Amino acid sequence: MRFEFNGTPVEARPGDTVASALYRAGQRVFSRSFKYHRPRGLLCGAGKCPNCLMQVDGVPNVRVCVTPARDGLVVRHQHAYPSLDFDWLSLAQRFDAFLPVGWYYKTFRSHALWRAAEPFIRRAAGLGVVPADPAGEYEHAFRQADVAVIGGGPSGLEAALAHAGAGSEVVLVDDQPELGGHRRYRKRAGPEPTDLIARVRSHPAISVLAGAYCFGLYEGNLLGVVQPAPHARCRERLLHLRAAHVVVATGVYEAPLLFPNNDLVGVMLSTAAQRLIHLHGLPPGKRAAVIGRGVRAEEVLADLRSAGVETHLLIAPEEVERAEGAASVSALRARGERFPCDVVVVCGHLVPDAGLLSQAGARLDWNAQVGAFCPAGLPPTMSAAGEVTGAGLSAAAPLPAPVAPHKRAFVCVCTDATTQDLCDALGEGFDHMETLKRYTTTTMGPCQGRMCQLNAIAVCARQTGRGMQETGVTTSRPPNPGVTLGALAGPRHHPIRRTPLHHQHADRGAVWLDMGEWKRPRYYRTAASSDETTCVRAEYAAVRQRVGLIDVSTLGKLEVRGRDAGRLLDKVYTHRFSDLAVGRARYATLCDDHGILLDDGTISRLAEDRYFLTTTTGNLDFVEQWLLWWLAGTGQHVHIANVTGGLAAVNLAGPLARDTLRKLTALDLGSQAFSYMACRQAEVAGIPAILLRIGFVGETGWEIHVPAECGPDLWDALLDAGREFGIRPFGVEAQRLLRLEKKHVIIGVDTDALTTPYEAGLNWVVRREKEDFIGRHALSGSPRSPRRESLVGLVVEGEQTPEDGSAVMINGRPAGRVTSARFSPHVGAPIALAWAPEAKAVEGARVEVRIRGRAVTARVTLEAFYDPEGARLRA
Amino acid sequence: MSFLIPCPHCGPRSVYEFRFGGEARKRPAPEADAAAWAEYLHVRRNAAGVQTEWWFHRAGCRQWFQAERHTVTNHVRRAFRVEEETGRDAL
Repeated sequence: MRFEFNGTPVEARPGDTVASALYRAGQRVFSRSFKYHRPRGLLCGAGKCPNCLMQVDGVPNVRVCVTPARDGLVVRHQHAYPSLDFDWLSLAQRFDAFLPVGWYYKTFRSHALWRAAEPFIRRAAGLGVVPADPAGEYEHAFRQADVAVIGGGPSGLEAALAHAGAGSEVVLVDDQPELGGHRRYRKRAGPEPTDLIARVRSHPAISVLAGAYCFGLYEGNLLGVVQPAPHARCRERLLHLRAAHVVVATGVYEAPLLFPNNDLVGVMLSTAAQRLIHLHGLPPGKRAAVIGRGVRAEEVLADLRSAGVETHLLIAPEEVERAEGAASVSALRARGERFPCDVVVVCGHLVPDAGLLSQAGARLDWNAQVGAFCPAGLPPTMSAAGEVTGAGLSAAAPLPAPVAPHKRAFVCVCTDATTQDLCDALGEGFDHMETLKRYTTTTMGPCQGRMCQLNAIAVCARQTGRGMQETGVTTSRPPNPGVTLGALAGPRHHPIRRTPLHHQHADRGAVWLDMGEWKRPRYYRTAASSDETTCVRAEYAAVRQRVGLIDVSTLGKLEVRGRDAGRLLDKVYTHRFSDLAVGRARYATLCDDHGILLDDGTISRLAEDRYFLTTTTGNLDFVEQWLLWWLAGTGQHVHIANVTGGLAAVNLAGPLARDTLRKLTALDLGSQAFSYMACRQAEVAGIPAILLRIGFVGETGWEIHVPAECGPDLWDALLDAGREFGIRPFGVEAQRLLRLEKKHVIIGVDTDALTTPYEAGLNWVVRREKEDFIGRHALSGSPRSPRRESLVGLVVEGEQTPEDGSAVMINGRPAGRVTSARFSPHVGAPIALAWAPEAKAVEGARVEVRIRGRAVTARVTLEAFYDPEGARLRA
Repeated sequence: MSFLIPCPHCGPRSVYEFRFGGEARKRPAPEADAAAWAEYLHVRRNAAGVQTEWWFHRAGCRQWFQAERHTVTNHVRRAFRVEEETGRDAL
């Protein structure tokens, strides 16, 4: 197995992490510190500290000490210029006098100074580089269990077996590749629980997720779990794991001790040394000085000796004076002596890993006996097992200990905050943990306080004379450890909806327009031209002069049936529908109780108790839910069915539409027999259809709805029938131009979240005489009562068409805006729908429209630009 | 926000399957005075405590129902079909 580190191949053995393989290859510097760019080596070896963050396969800030080595990985160092062993920015530590705590607040008091320094600081600060493209595929998964056990050590294994034995379905999550917890590397603490592991592995009610880490507990006992590389095509899977009960058996992690130069390369925590020895067969160095006391320190000393490391006698924590060394440690000075060594092994504080419990609302109480904050007051849906409760721990060193402020005694290795910094901040009055944390950024780095929180509390407690309990812990929030944005975002999945006529459009050279999830033809390229303007003009001309066909399958379609259907529609829509005759259709607008226009469409009465509704493409879900909501709990007999996906729909329009359609149906299509705003059910080309005589584009036309699977047949039949009349399919762009000439409003394009029907010029759709409807109170005043503004038509002078959204100007000041504008072949000038002040809503009034910075005169028109009497529509 | 809602038709489901419909309130009669309408349209109780509210099960039964939720803890005490309990004025 071999991976690449900074361009050089590195050999790895089975079971290696990236960090252990690098360590075996002689790499000792793993990162540079955040502020001073000091070299940093392996510290925790457990994924809890910031010292081994690297760029792996393009992903920044990967903890390589818990990343299994794999063939072909590309690993690069980060945040060091040019290399880990030599970093120009380490010069920063020479100027530490100028980099006091609160440096940003104290230095950048003028905006100009900050602006000058910002580019350099941005380059120098920060850690890895965010890749421009996603580094792979991510996925989400969902899982429920009776019990989730977090932690696969002896206590977690026992808890899993106990719950499974009691009949629960258990999911066990452990962040290590193998179960066993600390017993895998603390061999002298007790036997490896091989029997427990075997029983857990073979128990049918227990699923084990090894090598997966839990980063947070959320409301309703939802656990965020990340599984790296669950299969070959997935970088990370985010598992939403919900459990009725959560057992936290996360054990403890080790945190450093405070002494000058405690961050030198070669100073590592005892469990990191034990992991190197027992999991990877690597002696951490040649000669070790061990800081610690008691049984645990003896255990570490014995491990080092049996791994062939020469060791000095144990050094008690309070005897330590400082570590010495330039790039890496060369000696430890203690009790007045110098102990030469290449590795200092620190038996640090053991801290219960209780983040999940405090996120669930548990308290953390200081227990001086065990030297730890221990969880208490757990909610009933949580329990804790093993060392995380504080059981069996003993203090590594008394806390709070006397503090000697020193510029190289690092409390926070993430952000280079020292005992000096903390003492200075305390002196400046930041003497509560939460303010001290924010001012010094201690506990706010990538390790989220795991390495520094206990020491910071101890320093604060000591300097303020308060106790540990009174000083208290800072709030634990998820995620910890950090999660990639890719995992949170999940799969790159963009649903696409295609109409039943999609392939017909594709065959005809459609250029697509995305409308929400829908693909609609914007226009059709032809053999003669693929230019948009040319094609749209030709499509426009076909509709105005001959006949055109457009796919309107994306319209929302609802069937509302039942005895009380008319009553529901009367209540919800502004117009009246209970008096609509069977076989008639009516334009329908929907308002809320503020009188704001929400949607429009048509409602046709197909039978006494059966209405057929259309909604705008994007508002279908909303309208369906709106109707259901007003119906809910009323006990009325109405059934609402969303039939959008079941129907294909086309609009056949133009002066020759009747001649075209006549060839395919036995229906009498005469202007009396099938008049404007009538609806019929009949066969078209042998297909059962609903036909609506409506005209969004302003010509004689029929909207024809047929079963989706028959859509292509209908489309082909209509094009065949219309060939002799010069039929042409048209797209959304031509449709928008055609409707604009008719001044037909598109809700949500020409209206906004404050528009009433009156302002949009739709007075006739509001039946104020109805006893009640949604919006009646707000619309009960006169349509002419004071309005904000009015939607008017504009004919713009000159050749340039304003862009949608252009400002309408009066006396040089913005006073409105253009909502839709196109060049009108009929008018021979650019036309627009625009919002203008009420005073200008007068036929022939003059306003100015700003087009590309120039004010252009426009004339207000209140009538439709095309066929204002609607003669063609009704023909 | 990741609590469960016990849908009266589908059982306990993630809140992400639902659409929130606001506090359940009585709409004033059409002839009610302007003050009553202003209160209905513009004033919210914003209660810190148990509130009866509308929910729509978008990714399930696609039905509206009401639930009693504690707005501070997000604990949903119960959910019920309106027609079976409080009812609503006829259309």
